[in-house]
Parts: sequence; C-alpha cells; structure tokens
Amino acid sequence: MDLRAGDSWGLLACLCTVLWHLPAVPALNRTGDPGPGPSIQKTYDLTRYLEHQLRSLAGTYLNYLGPPFNEPDFNPPRLGAETLPRATVDPDVWRSLNDKLRLTQNYEAYSHLLCYLRGLNRQAATAELRRSLAHFCTSLQGLLGSIAGVMAALGYPLPQPLPGTEPTWAPGPAHSNFLQKMDDFWLLKELQTWLWRSAKDFNRLKKKMQPSAAAVTLRLEAHGF
Amino acid sequence: MAAPVPWACCAVLAAAAAVVYAQRHSPQEAPQVQYERLGSDVTLPCGTANWDAAVTWRVNGTDLAADLLNGSQLVLHGLELGHSGLYACFHRDSWHLHHQVLLHVGLPPREPVLSCRSNTYPKGFYCSWHLSTPTYIPNTFNVTVLHGSKIMVCEKDPALKNRCHIRYMHLFSTVKYKVSISVSNALGHNATAITFDEFTIVKPDPPENVVARPVPSNPRRLEVTWQTPSTWPDPESFPLKFFLRYRPLILDQWQHVELSDGTAHTITDAYAGKEYIIQVAAKDNEIGTWSDWSVAAHATPWTEEPRHLTTEAQAPETTTSTTSSLAPQPTTKICDPGELGSGGGPSAPLLVSAPVTLALAAAAATASDLLI
Repeated sequence: MDLRAGDSWGLLACLCTVLWHLPAVPALNRTGDPGPGPSIQKTYDLTRYLEHQLRSLAGTYLNYLGPPFNEPDFNPPRLGAETLPRATVDPDVWRSLNDKLRLTQNYEAYSHLLCYLRGLNRQAATAELRRSLAHFCTSLQGLLGSIAGVMAALGYPLPQPLPGTEPTWAPGPAHSNFLQKMDDFWLLKELQTWLWRSAKDFNRLKKKMQPSAAAVTLRLEAHGF
Repeated sequence: MAAPVPWACCAVLAAAAAVVYAQRHSPQEAPQVQYERLGSDVTLPCGTANWDAAVTWRVNGTDLAADLLNGSQLVLHGLELGHSGLYACFHRDSWHLHHQVLLHVGLPPREPVLSCRSNTYPKGFYCSWHLSTPTYIPNTFNVTVLHGSKIMVCEKDPALKNRCHIRYMHLFSTVKYKVSISVSNALGHNATAITFDEFTIVKPDPPENVVARPVPSNPRRLEVTWQTPSTWPDPESFPLKFFLRYRPLILDQWQHVELSDGTAHTITDAYAGKEYIIQVAAKDNEIGTWSDWSVAAHATPWTEEPRHLTTEAQAPETTTSTTSSLAPQPTTKICDPGELGSGGGPSAPLLVSAPVTLALAAAAATASDLLI
C-alpha cells in the first residue's frame, strides 16, 4: 500500500491554487504614505504577535494530537510534507537576498501556510480548536496583507502562482491517521520557524530603510536591489 | 677512509656495554601499567616468579610489610587513591629486580555533563562537557553532532580541551540537532546525548564595558553605558535587547529596566548620595535566552558640596595674619626660662589656627603675668 504523506498536501495544494487567484488586500488604505518604513515596522510587530499566538495554539493542537506529538523531545525525521514551504536557508544566501526576493519568499510562504492551516481547521475536531485556528488564520491573513503593502510601497509585484508548480495530485488511498498527524506537526513547526525567520527578515529590511531615508533612496531601493 | 671503521667498532662496543648494564640494573621490561578500581581488592603477581619464591615488594622505593604477601604475590585490600604508585618486587637474596607495576587507582566515568550554546548566532554554536565526579585516571571523549541524519564536524577549541565548535550550515531549520558524547577510560565507559532546536540554545555573552557615571548637577541620576558583546557577530541584522538592574549597595532589592535598543540609559530615581551597583544582560530580540549578568559597575550620584565648609576655611586665614603680628612678643617672653620660674604664664606657643579673640586673650594674660 502506497502511503504517501504528501497526499493531504496534494489536496490542499489544489485548493491553494484556487485561493491564489483571490487578490490579497494591501495594508495601505490611504495615499501619501511616508514610505514603507512604518509598514515594515508594523509587519515586524505582526510577526511577533503571531509567534506569540502560535505558541499557545500549537500547544493546544499538539495536545489534541496526543503523544508522541506533544512530547518535547519528539524528534521525527522530516519525511513527507514536501510541499510545505521551508524556512531553512544557507546563511550566506539568506544574508545576500535582495529586498524583493526576501519579501517574495515571505509572501509565498505565508500564502501556502495559510492555505494549509485552513485545511487543518476544516478537520479539527473540537469547536474550541476551530475557533483558535480561525482566529489565527485571520491574523495570518493580516500579516499577508501587511507584507503585500510593503511590496506595493516598494513597487514590487505580488507573486503570482506559475501553472504546473503545484504537485500533481493523483487520487490514492486515504493515508493513515498517524501520517496525517505528522503532516500537521510539520505544518506547525514550519509556521513557527517562518515567524522567527520573518522577524529577522524584517529587522534587516527595517535597518535598510531608516525613517530618515528620503523618498529618493526608496526609489533607488525599489529599482536597484 | 680508515677513520669511520674504528668509530663504528667503538659504537657497537658501547651499545653492547649499555645493554649489559641495563639488563643488570634495570628491569627486563618497562613497568607494566595497571588500572584498578577505587575500593576494590587487587593481587599483584611478581611477574613470572613462582608462587613460593622468596621476594620483597617495594612501593615507590619503600619496603612493604611481609604480611601483605600471599606467597610471592602482593595483596592490596580496599584500594585508595594513595595506593597509586610504582610497585616493584625483588628476589629477597639477590635483590634482583624481577617485576615492576605502575598502579593507578581510579574510577570508571559517570555520565558526562554536556551542554551546547550559541553566543555567536548566526555563525555557529559550541558544546562543552565535563565529568561531575573525577575519575583520577586519564579519560578520552568523543563528540558527534547530527543535524537530522547529517553528520556535522565539531572542531576542537584551540585553548579549551573540553569544548568544540560547530558552524551553522543552515539557518531557520526545523530539524533538531543531536549532540552525543562518549567518555571512556581504562576502567569503563559512559555516554550521553542532548537534542535541541536551533533557536533554543541562543544565549549571547554579557554586555561589555559597563560604565556608570554621575550626572553633574543631578543628585538622583546615573548615566549607564555599555557595549554589545564582541562575540555577537551581527548586531545589525540580529539586534540585541538589554535588561538593566541596579540597587544601592545598602539594599537588597533590585530595580529592573528592559531596553529594546540603544546601549545607554539614565537612571532617574537613584537615592541621593548612595553608592549604586549596576549590571546589564543581553538577549536576541526574538529568540533564545538572556545572557549572564555583566561585570558590575559602581557609581554614586552627584552630590553638592556642603556650604559651611567654605566659610570656616576663610576664618583661619585672618587669624594667622593677626597672630603673626602678636606672636613674637609673647613667644620670646615665654621662652625665657628665668621669667617662667615665678609662676605660670602660658608656656605653650600660640596656635596659628586659633580664633583672633583667643590669641588676644593669651597675649593679655602673658602681659599681665609679666606685670606682676
């Protein structure tokens, strides 16, 4: 029996392609903003807020999954969940990312993660869990909007999904409950790691765009690197 | 050339002589090294000698009592650390050295204590280890680092022998690190391992160069400055936040301030005139734990100079100018022994710092005595 842990991701990836085409609402709702500086700060603050929220949410959800998922020493090999966006990156590559790429990677990661989280929500057993997940999804949507706002202020286009990048999904036997839980575990782990990475990403962006920097510098940033 | 041949001949003869000498005055073989467990019993045979051979045992050159012997074998009960040494057995009559044992008394290793920390995030981390109880004999340690299934190199620290360093090959990893250590010596073996996420071991070194200064004209303020630890490689992209604590030396309760940026802070609620002790700790803004407290800085807030000391300083100056004109006359009179004989004028010379009135009174008294 071919139990592919990625099957559930395939299903959700399919759903995600649908959601991709819904435009994300930019955070900027007024003209004449003083550049992306305040938006970057707001985005940074949102990642901190979400990371804090995730801590309690993950604790509750892992307890719901039960052992061994809620054990602190649980250290499974990373199998399956291949379509999850991975935060891990070579240190030199991360350092040398240009602003556009840095923001794009964040945007794409959270778009996928949000989609998967919504799938999680549909399957969650208790009403309380569904409520917490729904709340988190709303906050995550806000983060996405905030990132989109920064990108728009800098003149970067929002990433569009390329056709054929989603994994081909062939209907197969429903894989086991355990593997499904493993997928959930990795989703939460990856989400937490992305939030930590984003804090560092936005720190770096913040330093590059000091409030004193004139609009001219911003234009250079947008078109240069 | 004819010269080398006799030289070679001499060399061979010298070597042969040395071998004969060694065989007569040194043991047949180098001392056998033996490790035994503390508290155990051991029986040392005298090399290949028969059980009933007549031998004498010595430890570090000192004779051992015959009641420790079982035939030609030395029996030691309840080994203590003091039993470590060079044991030699000699044929009793010829004093020929038959056998030597270098005995080391020790313990097998207990579970080692292992910890890892990143004070140079995102460059890398280090792991250090030690044994909670000594073994008294040499130990070898072996460290392996796994990141998921990948083996990572742990480079030995050039200065510290119980520390090694790992470089991060990936940042923001969801896969845990597993560091295992095994320790072994002649008496046993032990091992332990720890598993952790990249973020949990981040702990910077304490801030450096913490300096506290009083603020002029502000009796309740102290200005504190410090620097980010020099080991933190990238404070720009990985900013640190700081925690300051301070208290007057005379109190036990600390005041705390958390600072999200900047390397300076002004304390505005210091008790006037009291010496303060101040320390700072650092932490990455988002991940890891707080550093240890920095070296303490001491400072006392600025205090105003008290006014009354300034006016008193002026008075003695006027006194000296007045008394100097008066002094010569009474002094010459006082120092004349004949004059003193009749009865008591002031014999002590006038003090320069005395107020004007006292000086005049003394002079008057002397003058009145003289008139009598």
